[in-house]
Amino acid sequence: MTAQRQAPLPDGWAYDASTVDAGVLNAELFSEIGKPLRRREDHRLVTGKGRFSDDFSIEGQLFAAMVRSPYAHARIGAIDKAEAEALPGVVAVLTGQDALDDGLTAINHSPVPSTRFDVRLTAPDGSPPFIGPHLLLPVDKARHVGEAVAIVVAESRAAALDAAEMVDVAWEELPHVIDSLDAIKEDAPTLWDEVPGNTFVDCEHGNPEATKAAFEEAATVVRAKLHINRVTAVTMEPRAALADYDAETGRSTLYAGSGGAVRQKRELSAVLGIPQDDLRVLSYDVGGNFGARNRVYVEFGLVLWASRRLQRPVKYTASRSEAFLTDYQGRDLHTEVALALDADGKFLAMTADNVSNVGARCVSLSPLSKGAGLITGSYHIPVAHLRTRAVFTNTMCTQAYRSSGRPEVTYAIERLVDLAAIETGIDPIELRRRNLLAPQDLPYRNAVGSLYDSGEYEANMDRAMALFEWDDVGRRRADAKARGKILGVGLANYVESSIGTPKERAEITVAPDGAVEVVIGTQPSGQGHETSFGQVVADMLQIPAADVTIVLGDTDRVSVGGGSHSGRSMRHAGTVMVMASADLLRVARDLAAERLDLAPDALDYADGTFTARGTNRSVTLADLSSEQNPLSVARTNEMHAPVFPNGTAICEVEIDPVTCQIAITRYASVDDVGRCINPLIVHGQSHGGIAQGVGQAMWEDCAIDPESGQPLAGSLMDYGLPRIDTMPFFDVEISEVLSPTNPLGIKAGGEGGTTPALATVTLAVLDALRPLGVTDIAMPITPQRIWQALDTAAATPKEKAPA
Amino acid sequence: MMYGFSFHRPKSLAEAADVFARADDPTYVSGGHSLLPTMKSRLAAPSDLIALTHLPELQGITRDGDRVIIGAAQTHASVASAALVQDALPALAQLAGSIGDMQVRHRGTIGGSLANNDPAADYPSAVLALGATIVTSTREIHADDYFDGMFATALELGEIITAIAFPIPKSAGYAKMRNPASRYALAASFVAKTEDAVRVAITGAGSDGVFRWSAAEKALGASFDSAALAGLALSADDMLGDMHADASYRAHLAAICTQRAVDNQGRLTLL
Repeated sequence: MTAQRQAPLPDGWAYDASTVDAGVLNAELFSEIGKPLRRREDHRLVTGKGRFSDDFSIEGQLFAAMVRSPYAHARIGAIDKAEAEALPGVVAVLTGQDALDDGLTAINHSPVPSTRFDVRLTAPDGSPPFIGPHLLLPVDKARHVGEAVAIVVAESRAAALDAAEMVDVAWEELPHVIDSLDAIKEDAPTLWDEVPGNTFVDCEHGNPEATKAAFEEAATVVRAKLHINRVTAVTMEPRAALADYDAETGRSTLYAGSGGAVRQKRELSAVLGIPQDDLRVLSYDVGGNFGARNRVYVEFGLVLWASRRLQRPVKYTASRSEAFLTDYQGRDLHTEVALALDADGKFLAMTADNVSNVGARCVSLSPLSKGAGLITGSYHIPVAHLRTRAVFTNTMCTQAYRSSGRPEVTYAIERLVDLAAIETGIDPIELRRRNLLAPQDLPYRNAVGSLYDSGEYEANMDRAMALFEWDDVGRRRADAKARGKILGVGLANYVESSIGTPKERAEITVAPDGAVEVVIGTQPSGQGHETSFGQVVADMLQIPAADVTIVLGDTDRVSVGGGSHSGRSMRHAGTVMVMASADLLRVARDLAAERLDLAPDALDYADGTFTARGTNRSVTLADLSSEQNPLSVARTNEMHAPVFPNGTAICEVEIDPVTCQIAITRYASVDDVGRCINPLIVHGQSHGGIAQGVGQAMWEDCAIDPESGQPLAGSLMDYGLPRIDTMPFFDVEISEVLSPTNPLGIKAGGEGGTTPALATVTLAVLDALRPLGVTDIAMPITPQRIWQALDTAAATPKEKAPA
Repeated sequence: MMYGFSFHRPKSLAEAADVFARADDPTYVSGGHSLLPTMKSRLAAPSDLIALTHLPELQGITRDGDRVIIGAAQTHASVASAALVQDALPALAQLAGSIGDMQVRHRGTIGGSLANNDPAADYPSAVLALGATIVTSTREIHADDYFDGMFATALELGEIITAIAFPIPKSAGYAKMRNPASRYALAASFVAKTEDAVRVAITGAGSDGVFRWSAAEKALGASFDSAALAGLALSADDMLGDMHADASYRAHLAAICTQRAVDNQGRLTLL
């Protein structure tokens, strides 16, 4: 495989108006799309009227608490429940064996990305990978600290917690392994007997021969070994679930916020072995997701199971400590990369060896797969050779975390490019210019097979540099120096792929009073869908956005929908809403024609009203609806083509070489999101995304003590987060290069803030510290890390201090 | 969620001591902003909590000649905003204003902080550097005799701090480097200059809690100028080390904080 400019397009890749019955959209008619409308959900949320999972309670409910493993790796011996069961108020103590006896099965996370645009990942022998079955409660071993091995259900939360401490598990502690590079060593402890050596995915991609040849003739080769550290989402609302079983109907209702209720319903009903229709999942307001809530949690299945067994409602709310221990975590990729350049600074080839730490079992391979497809970043690199491995360790499972996989590889390629600039002596911006893809190169198939749809990469970089006042960096550097600070700047270009679950469904109903209700399957967790989706339908129907209400989060209303991940929501929901709106107008036109006794094509449509051409006879959408016969359509769509949001971000830092304190003083970015439906929301997403990426680069770290296997950052006392006073004001702009893959031309917003931020911060720090001899620094870049780096570089500030 | 306990709200110091004496495993609670999170994490399980903050004997901020007397139940916010403290001891007022966050400052109290003696707390450094006196339900304890290592003090079982008497120095300064996660002090230094001496107390850094840096005191006593600190170093062997700052970095920071506190007398400096 070789990278290809102007790549031929596969069938079904480009949006074809004739096949989706929506016609070509006339952007001139848009009046709501593109407006920075304030979010209609905010008043509800800031006045305490949100409906978060823990807000739900049912008379007579019981409370669940988990018995969790104190060990990173331990065999589960006898579980003595007697003392716990004897405690007043305790109703049941249930173990993994009880679950097996009741016929419960493992959660089917379907972790292997499977669209034809995903990088294919297999076991070392080419077969489907063994993922480590995820039982609600394990019966053989606990494989990470905090893994639940029993559930206690009691009349009060206090009783459940007290009893959980009294459940006596006969543990046999086993040797553990925390880091994936340790786990692939020959003598490493094995987590799963089925996978001796712990490596359950091992594949190669690209063109090894051509890559090898290119490296041999290269004028310059640069290499780096990098670790993209493990972080966790720290959602404001800890996860919670309330299960209610109706013995009369045999149906269960689960109140549990997630990234998508439909998936929860499908996978949890399978775990319980009940028909999907016997489970209703309600997921209304969700206090933060970032990927952590997209997969099923064992506690959700456990409360459902317990409530069915006990015929009482059962509620579980995670504590912040439990969230730190057992929320699905993010990143944790080791990557060894190399870049070959010719004498002119043109990139010739690249290699990458990516090792993903999935934790104790595999919940998602999305980060590894997504990153694998984008190792060459925004640049033309003719050939590449990539090895991808996924490895089990005695840690909490990792999952796609904001911009899954893409910040990791962006970090790698951008660090390589800066290294190449240093090595060749070419200015880092000039080196990027020589290798960035040009607009006419797109569609572009990169050296590992990803097909980039559209974009103006160099224009992004120029605009971001203008926003950043790049030309003035020299003066700012001098100013900082006069204040005793060292200034550094870091620039990163990025491209990311948004794919996501391909199916989405929209049901649109016009009520007789003209109110329009849209039922949509995807699920927000703060992205403002109720506002922005309303804008889309409003413009499609030419009605005010205020007339449109979006219904989400109840699987009795919402039957199909992929949830919010991979920047998919507006693209998939927008597309299916365009199609459903077109359907609705078609149905309405026929009805209107009948009502006015004219041919359908004798009618003009504008502003929610059909008018007989050349007359004043008209009929509104509302007129065409009645209580008996509401005007209503439903449309399901499947869309596989990925899109490739892209952009540039630049960070400026100031470091005090004496105290090693670091501050971000400037941050600018340009994000090509395709068509932007609501710039206020997209900007907010960018700001949050930047904070999340910067957070990983500067403070956040799920540190684990390798000796004991114990997490060291189990609370906000030790897990650092970005704060209002450690963030600068952002200079962000949106670029709208429409994607040819969908009717609205949408790419995605939000993740773009995160994707380049790890690289921009790190490169800025290295730019600042390079004169002091620092060539490498690991994330998070805390003052402590700067101290160590300066110490290592023997350019310690000690002589400046009185010490 | 906490373990079960009994809660008491005594009407007087005497009643508080009486309840304490009769309870099984009691703890006094003031603002509770260290104790309650510990209890919520189920890492502390007192049988009885005896509230002190409302007691009349623990209130007030007054000036008594060349001393500022702060009632043990005064919140950090009240100390920070007291004009009397701002005038006489601006560094102390600003120190109080830099503790924790808004909620902590409006609940946490000076007495509670000193009774707890967290090795990363702010107040111990001011108390030690200013040579304050801890007034308790039974006696007066000089700062030099009060701190007894991490989370340990000279307080007897059941003894209650009622007030802290701070001598007013010629000048004082406080400099702090905060932990990026918790915002407690990674290292901080309180430097107080009196007519005849300089006292330097370091918090956040020492493996044995707050301590006086006598070499720095001596040097600054001879010449009150940060240049006088040149060549002085704290030993990393005596420092705390963790993921946020290793012992050598803490030793370095403590020295830098001392320098900044000297350079910026009369106020708080955040590094």
